[in-house]
Amino acid sequence: MPCSSFFYAWGEALRSLYRNKWMTVASIGVVIVTLLMLGGFMLVHLNLNHITEDVKSQVEIIVYIKDDATLHERNELRERLIAHRALAEVRFVSKDEALRRMKDKLGDVVEGYGGSADNPLPDSFEVRTYEPEAVSAVAEELARYPAVAKVDYGKATVEGLFKATRAVQLVGLMLMIGLAVTAIFLIAHTIRLTVFIRRREIMIMKYVGATNWFIRWPFILEGLIIGLCGAVLPLGALYYIYAASLEWVSHNLMFLSLVPLPLVMAELVKYLLPLGTGLGILGSAFSMDRFLRV
Amino acid sequence: MVEAKGLYYRYSKNGDYVLHDLNFSIERGEFVFVIGASGAGKSTLFKLLIREIVPIKGTLKVFGHDLARMPRYRVPYLRRNIGMVFQDFRLLEDRTAFENIAFAMQVTGASRREIKRRVPYVLEMVGLLDKAHSRVCDLSGGEQQRVGLARAIINRPAMIIADEPTGNLDPDNSYEIMNILRSFNMRGTTVLVATHDQEMVNYLKKRVIRLEKGRVVADEAKGVYAGAL
Repeated sequence: MPCSSFFYAWGEALRSLYRNKWMTVASIGVVIVTLLMLGGFMLVHLNLNHITEDVKSQVEIIVYIKDDATLHERNELRERLIAHRALAEVRFVSKDEALRRMKDKLGDVVEGYGGSADNPLPDSFEVRTYEPEAVSAVAEELARYPAVAKVDYGKATVEGLFKATRAVQLVGLMLMIGLAVTAIFLIAHTIRLTVFIRRREIMIMKYVGATNWFIRWPFILEGLIIGLCGAVLPLGALYYIYAASLEWVSHNLMFLSLVPLPLVMAELVKYLLPLGTGLGILGSAFSMDRFLRV
Repeated sequence: MVEAKGLYYRYSKNGDYVLHDLNFSIERGEFVFVIGASGAGKSTLFKLLIREIVPIKGTLKVFGHDLARMPRYRVPYLRRNIGMVFQDFRLLEDRTAFENIAFAMQVTGASRREIKRRVPYVLEMVGLLDKAHSRVCDLSGGEQQRVGLARAIINRPAMIIADEPTGNLDPDNSYEIMNILRSFNMRGTTVLVATHDQEMVNYLKKRVIRLEKGRVVADEAKGVYAGAL
């Protein structure tokens, strides 16, 4: 592209945005509203995922050791657990500690049990897997180890939890895809409209000998500017909304752990910026093509 | 400059031919009127000349290029060598006369300096220098057509094609437009004018190609607009 055409394209894009200022405002408005909705939903979705992952990561397996297991067998079990690839964390809980925990939890009910002699609780290992979804399979495997009396991981609860989180993720993903498709249609159609309004201008350009790319560039740059403005403004708004939400949650719902602001913003920027600018550019480029066939 | 041999065109596959076996040639520097009733095929012929459409049969050569074989990407360069003037002016109404003419130069990648130098010169040729910065929508019909003429000549085309350039104008303005076209022609530009305007054809006494139902029925060197059309 010659230098003069480069400056012409930018100048023309900016002039035309100004000349058609109401259409520009409307297009940017549509991009803002759709991306704000999509971004807002992404925030909710990211946090729901985060919370469910958090809950899932707390799922643990308790491996009870046979009372009659020898020291050697116990050590061997410990070694095997530590060496196990699927296990992230292995912690030994002696029968005394188990009793103490039970006393902490239940208080007077277990008052009768004084020392280790009449303690009916077995020694155990508490283990966590890297992948919460692997709990079932790992538990079954551990149950087959020689020194293991029993494994417990709250099978029904864990499976229910996994089903629920899968459903939440799936519904969230579907809603997000639906919103993204709506955003694509809305933005593309708005830009088509701006191009349609200027079809006469495109036709005249063709008659005076403009190449297709000479005509396209200003429109593409306009699309880029509309998309960029339409994406940056919702990003700014979502930043402040989310920061305020985090602040509120940290004071009122302390038990809730939300995704930190920088991570959320990185995700939003990663999706919304290319979506806005990409749609702006593609919307312009594709909607012009039929007017270029003169 | 223009050579048509056995030229046929129809708009749909099973439709009637709107141009039928057209044969003619136009030399450099000629002034030619193409006359005929509505539907005679004048506008179709002009669309073929700027390669908006491609002949179904026959050959049409412009500046020595066979338009049927011309790749799409060459078409803009062909059009830069042909100045177009339309009955409905086809100007950008929200822009000034200067901007409308400059627009045709920008398309060719001309520098700002060239544009600033050449546009006033052309505006003076059509007598509109004082209206350079008036918006087109504030100009009269005659003035708008003069802007159209200035835009057509700005890139020093070898040929100007005017499709009913006086169709929307009163007689005084029509004479003025024809005189400007004649002045372009006297500077060496080939001019083709499609018109219904009997008075203008008779006034200039130039070559006349008469079309009837898509066929050339007369081609006279110093023709007049005669007969019932």
